[in-house]
Amino acid sequence: MTDGDYDYLIKLLALGDSGVGKTTFLYRYTDNKFNPKFITTVGIDFREKRVVYTASNPNGTTTGKTFKVHLQLWDTAGQERFRSLTTAFFRDAMGFLLMFDLTSQQSFLNVRNWMSQLQANAYCENPDIVLVGNKADLSDQREVQEKQAKELADKYGIPYFETSAATGAEVDKTVITLLDLVMKRMEQCVDKPPAESANGNGATKLGDAQPVEKKCAC
Amino acid sequence: MPEAVDMINLGFLSDSERELILEVLQRDEELRQAEEQRVRKLKTELLDVRRKGAKRGSGRYSQRVCGRCLEPISRLSVFNSQCKLCNHNVCCNCRTVLPNGSWLCNVCTKEADLKKRTGDWFYDQKVNRFSSTPGHDIVRVSLKKNPLVKKRETTGEILLRSTEMKPNPPSPRPNPVPQPRQKKQMVNKSENSVSIASRESFESKDDVWSKPARSDTESAENASITSSKAETESGRGTPEQQRGDHSARSSPAGSSVSSLTVPVKADIISTEGTNTPAEVKLARPSPELDVDRLFKKSIRRAPKPQGYVSTLDLRDECDTAKTSMGKRSHSVPGLDIQEGEEEEEDIDSLVSFHKRTMASSPSSLGSSRNTLGSLMSIYSEAGDFDSVEVSGDVVFSVHYDENTKSLQVFIKECHELAYGDTSRRLSNPYVKCYLLPDKSRQSKRKTSIKRNTVNPIYNETLKYSINRSKLIMRSLLISVWHHGRLSRNAFLGEVEIALDCRDLGSPQEDCVVLMSKAASVVPTSAFAQYKGELVISLKYITPKKSTAVKIKGNKAASEESGELHVLIKEAKNLIAMKPGGTSDSFVKGYLFPTQSKTTKRKTSVVKKNLNPHYNHTFVYKEVTLEQLQRMCLELTVWDKEAMMSNEFLGGVCLSAGQGTVKIGKEEVELNSVGEEVSLWQKMMQYPDSWAEGTLPLRSTMGKEKGK
Repeated sequence: MTDGDYDYLIKLLALGDSGVGKTTFLYRYTDNKFNPKFITTVGIDFREKRVVYTASNPNGTTTGKTFKVHLQLWDTAGQERFRSLTTAFFRDAMGFLLMFDLTSQQSFLNVRNWMSQLQANAYCENPDIVLVGNKADLSDQREVQEKQAKELADKYGIPYFETSAATGAEVDKTVITLLDLVMKRMEQCVDKPPAESANGNGATKLGDAQPVEKKCAC
Repeated sequence: MPEAVDMINLGFLSDSERELILEVLQRDEELRQAEEQRVRKLKTELLDVRRKGAKRGSGRYSQRVCGRCLEPISRLSVFNSQCKLCNHNVCCNCRTVLPNGSWLCNVCTKEADLKKRTGDWFYDQKVNRFSSTPGHDIVRVSLKKNPLVKKRETTGEILLRSTEMKPNPPSPRPNPVPQPRQKKQMVNKSENSVSIASRESFESKDDVWSKPARSDTESAENASITSSKAETESGRGTPEQQRGDHSARSSPAGSSVSSLTVPVKADIISTEGTNTPAEVKLARPSPELDVDRLFKKSIRRAPKPQGYVSTLDLRDECDTAKTSMGKRSHSVPGLDIQEGEEEEEDIDSLVSFHKRTMASSPSSLGSSRNTLGSLMSIYSEAGDFDSVEVSGDVVFSVHYDENTKSLQVFIKECHELAYGDTSRRLSNPYVKCYLLPDKSRQSKRKTSIKRNTVNPIYNETLKYSINRSKLIMRSLLISVWHHGRLSRNAFLGEVEIALDCRDLGSPQEDCVVLMSKAASVVPTSAFAQYKGELVISLKYITPKKSTAVKIKGNKAASEESGELHVLIKEAKNLIAMKPGGTSDSFVKGYLFPTQSKTTKRKTSVVKKNLNPHYNHTFVYKEVTLEQLQRMCLELTVWDKEAMMSNEFLGGVCLSAGQGTVKIGKEEVELNSVGEEVSLWQKMMQYPDSWAEGTLPLRSTMGKEKGK
């Protein structure tokens, strides 16, 4: 049975203002093609891609273990009128590509709004997010400086990438980074030994231990 | 905040937009089903790992012995040999060292791994966020323990379903008040049982990946997706013929108000309903909306209905049907959680649902018919499906592949099938196979469903890994079914192929005319299908008159009440449910009518035995002979599945055979027959002596609703 011939189904979701290039970004990622036409997304859509993920140890070295990951990449409409629908899908995603348009200051300013939408509607209050400034190829029309965006990302403690769906620059890397974050969270959530760890010499992060997560491993 | 958004009103969408979104949801549904199947497979694997090891939680072995392989643990390692998750002492061989240097026992490792692979880590978190009511601590605490049964439910799923619920009759039936018995059971969830249950809504649906044809601008993009999928899945075609229908269907697009109301928070609402599930009103599409129109017009590739799924997803099914079923399947977490009552709850709901559905008329809500359909496949012998005039044939080939040691059943196509839905003149046929005599889920294989065609082309191979020598005596039952989305599945015909007199060396194509079920096959009663027997002994123990009886005036109360002893001796010739042709069975008993859960009794599980000896006595105290005359003892045999719903193996129903008995809130006609009646009467006739009998097991516990 090849249907389920993958190890993990990871659901990611792209969000951001209308026209920042979420659909083209995902199209580039899944099909490595660019469609310069702007076709506004109706409500929601998704694309799929299989990737091979190489697990790495907490210390960064690869374990050599590889997994087949099936990515379900949700694409959401940026338009306000679909907002109630799109935000309802936030909670089913494991990681988020928060996108803005490097050539549109407004789309960047709205990142803050999207952030709070995420915090309210995602599966937890601090989900894994990657901030993506798209259309990096249009350098002559650029309105958002890298430093600005980087600062904002740092403030939220999330990675930042400048991508171009047109050229494909950094697109893969962005998604893989997000995937990596999600996979790490998964490990952390599941492998976290219970509080009364008896034989444990495993260092656990107790700081943000939500009661939720403690239940995970049983 | 999510809590504020109880439903999404999609009334603002135009018809074409709604259509596009539905297509997306359909694709999502397909992916989800593939995923569910994968998850289910994974969990089965875990079961295997577990079964090999010691019984979890039994702790009745020496500290010096490995809890997994039962080998002695060396003295040196005994210190640090406790798995920190399950607390079993485990030898070095049964450990898995984690990257951080600590270790867990193999089973716990596997479980953790499963948690990742199945995505449960995520759903558990999600459920916690979206189910808890701020400030309602008890509920919250219990929710932590009881990840919702429906935790895997996604927005897309809800949305999709909400468009499927066909208001027919248009007014939603009021939620019935749950019956005391059920309520009790639900309340009695233990952490354990719930986590088991919650992991278990996996539907065994086969056809996936096939993509709906899309139109205009996006087709180019889709083409590329399709082609990339083809790498993995080549044989499954797109239902092309549906594409043509599309244009025709979209014409009746009127301008009627069709607001699509989406109960995003449906499940959450219900859990907050603490102890009054009756209040729980599911947000469902408003009656005036013409979902049907929307539906016909836009869904070309219908989602998998719940119809033919196996036991496992019963809960899910029930939830799907929650409007009519009044949320009985839903737990009411937050009430007194009794720890220690393990693994019960699915069984109870199973039985009660089974009863309920049998009793409820098939003409009720469409959603409740879904439930019927799904039950039908569990008790696929129950004959509970629509029947149509059989026509057409099936083209297939069967051969044995020596390399893979598997029997390969290639289903090519069918011709001129009957319409499963006679009124709408359509069929969504799929082919189901059993390698008889095994009619359990292990033996079930299905093709994908082809939409709206009576000449489906499958080109799918169904495989059975089996030794060639074991094929003698076996036969292949190939049946064709119409997949009713909103209604029951319909039987479209079958053929049975004996394998012993067939050349399995080379695939040779056969075109065989479909037959209707032989009259003998369609069971006319619950006993038509042989399910084995149950040997029991009954004894009524009269009250000891000597003990302070007639002293006080309250004699009537105490004097007459004796005890009913039910000795569950053994079962014979049970149906095999597990690989290897065995079952891990136990017997459960209820004495009806019952006020509370107190009449539930269970034997221990006897493993890997189709002729298990239980030798377990159920004692029911404080019953009088007079009461027994109007009571009914229900004994059901179950195959134990650690992480899935237990599977029903058969049951008996003992009573005087006449009148009605109150089960929960419903008056149910007593339908005991033959030995069931005579044994019960013998017990009452000769108190203080054992009345023994061998009772044939019923294949269904369905009861008639009393007048």
